[in-house]
Amino acid sequence: MEKKKRFLKLNITGLIMMIAVMLIIAGCAQSSGTSGNTGSSKEESSSGLLKIGFILSQTGTFAPLSEGIINGFKLYLEEHNGMLGGKKVEIKVEDDEANPQVALRKYRQLVHSEKVDILVGPISSAVVYALRDEVEKDKKVLIDANAAGDDLAWSKKSNYVYRASFSNWQNGSSAAKYLANNVGKKAVILAPDYPAGKEVLRAFKAAFEAAGGKVAKELYPKLNTNDFAPYLQEASAENPDLIYAFFTGSDGIRFVTQYKEFGLKGKIPLAGALEFGDELITQPTGEAAEGIITGINYSPYLDNEQNKQFVEAYKAKYGKLPNIFSVEGYDSAAMIDKAVAEAGSVRSEDLIKVLKGISFDSPRGPITIDPATNNPIQNFYIAKNELKDGVIVPKVIEMVKNVTMPETSPFE
Amino acid sequence: MSIFYAQLLTGLAYGMLYFMIAAGLTIILGVMNVVNLAHGTLFMLGAYIAFTFISDELNFWIALLLSVLLTAVLGIILEKLLIKHVYGKELEQVLLTFGLSFIIADVVKWIWGTEMQTLSAPALLNASLSIGDMVFPLYRLFVVFIGCLLALLLWYLESKTRIGAIIRAGVDDRAMVGALGINVGLVFTGVFAFGAALAGLSGVLGGPLIGMYTGMDSEILVTSLIVVVIGGLGSWKGSFISAILIGVIETFGKVWFPSLSMLIVFLIMIVVLIIRPQGLFGREVA
Repeated sequence: MEKKKRFLKLNITGLIMMIAVMLIIAGCAQSSGTSGNTGSSKEESSSGLLKIGFILSQTGTFAPLSEGIINGFKLYLEEHNGMLGGKKVEIKVEDDEANPQVALRKYRQLVHSEKVDILVGPISSAVVYALRDEVEKDKKVLIDANAAGDDLAWSKKSNYVYRASFSNWQNGSSAAKYLANNVGKKAVILAPDYPAGKEVLRAFKAAFEAAGGKVAKELYPKLNTNDFAPYLQEASAENPDLIYAFFTGSDGIRFVTQYKEFGLKGKIPLAGALEFGDELITQPTGEAAEGIITGINYSPYLDNEQNKQFVEAYKAKYGKLPNIFSVEGYDSAAMIDKAVAEAGSVRSEDLIKVLKGISFDSPRGPITIDPATNNPIQNFYIAKNELKDGVIVPKVIEMVKNVTMPETSPFE
Repeated sequence: MSIFYAQLLTGLAYGMLYFMIAAGLTIILGVMNVVNLAHGTLFMLGAYIAFTFISDELNFWIALLLSVLLTAVLGIILEKLLIKHVYGKELEQVLLTFGLSFIIADVVKWIWGTEMQTLSAPALLNASLSIGDMVFPLYRLFVVFIGCLLALLLWYLESKTRIGAIIRAGVDDRAMVGALGINVGLVFTGVFAFGAALAGLSGVLGGPLIGMYTGMDSEILVTSLIVVVIGGLGSWKGSFISAILIGVIETFGKVWFPSLSMLIVFLIMIVVLIIRPQGLFGREVA
């Protein structure tokens, strides 16, 4: 008996210590991956060559987003004989693993060793804020191809960073007024518990309440939630007129699928940020995404001449429909093309003069880089997902023209 | 009011899943005195194996059966090759099984990649049930049902069968059972295979609920260790109660204090350990 007693005691303490170790390991566990390097050349940047360095997240959750950006960019290059602004382009792609520290290392490699002229990327807002301080110091132009953090247009605005995508504020506020006026006044809103989630909901709430709506409850599940059951039940128990949600990637796919599983589809209208109208989510969820109302800034079904050509070319090259990220890559290339042509140079000091206020036509509609925020002024489209021949097509109900970020943060 | 019941049911489904995972762990611990830290990895492996079979258009139930069989076989191989050399040596057990969990997790990453995957529930159970004005997916009720079934099975095996009697005796006095002419080594291999099969089973059943991703193995292991510690080491009955407790509390915690839900689980563990250091159903330490 004496022996057994000692044994039990040892086991309990041992186990608890193991748990602690385990938790630390689980917390620190980071998926690591190798970085891709697309054919290197030792050639120094000369007047005839334009070197562009990409910092994207090619491993983990953001991999499909990065792939879309690269695909779009390469398509634009191909359509323009590999030239931007009259210069032959060479590109280098680096993987930041969605980690600011890794991104800074890759940044130094691209800027100091490879001597790239212009940077394109990143996916994550945390990364863009880290890069922002560096490009400001080195006076290097960064075309923000995706990261949507609001502060990049406000307190962290930089003369060297120009956004090709959209901001969380634009994403969250675009559909709010329509929803308050046409769907209902009482909403429950949900987003992952991280900066982008908070920013999108903050923008939605402000615009929704300004239009006479009322947010009854805000729920923030952690990022990478597998099971939304408790949140869905909590949201539906409020009996709201609508549920508004922002979830991206696999979180978005699971949320939309579970919304149907828990019988909320068809009972409470679901509305969401532009991701819920994008191919990346609507394609894998299929029927479950039917009926969702979104404020999108792009869809391959948008009816304009340039988009038709873009979709045709994209389908021919990659065998699938483009998504919003493909357009972000395509437009990043268009922005650089126009800026280099106008500046007649690849020097940052010359480029930033023309990037402010630059405008061009994109498959998503006309784009103007707002000199007040360095954020694109663009149209958003209120759309409802419809099931047509087994695929989800966001049907445009209404256009919100020239969605422009306020010059300074309305939340301070 | 029905929101409360719906959440309760969700928590119950989680609890049953945790029970299924913890049962294997606690049985191995109780019978063999081995802390199998590779248990979470076997859980993950079960889910991924089923995922492959289902991707190959195989029926969910057949995939389930094959996954359970394969994890059991893997359990036998591990026990025969490695575990059997470290009986009675706790530190070695911990190091060995912990190391194994890393190796298998890397193999899983290598084979299946790091992208998040989800198992879809079998077509038969892919429906929903109305409870008042709340809707509940049928699959989750099925998980609750299987959990109860497993508890019944364990009770029957333990108290009504010869195997159960041998195992109970073996726990108390291994030398005596050996002296009675029973092959204790064989019994241990069987128990380890059974525990591994339970990990595989819960992996497949958990797939549609919690998805599959890198790192799920350590997350699940932490949860099941907590379940086992609260319930009392080696007691499956204790695990049953504490798994349900944790499943329910975690579910409510997620909504009420989203960022604290894991902390709450730890607090329960601390409180239980202060009041009853041996766990809720742990053997009284005289």
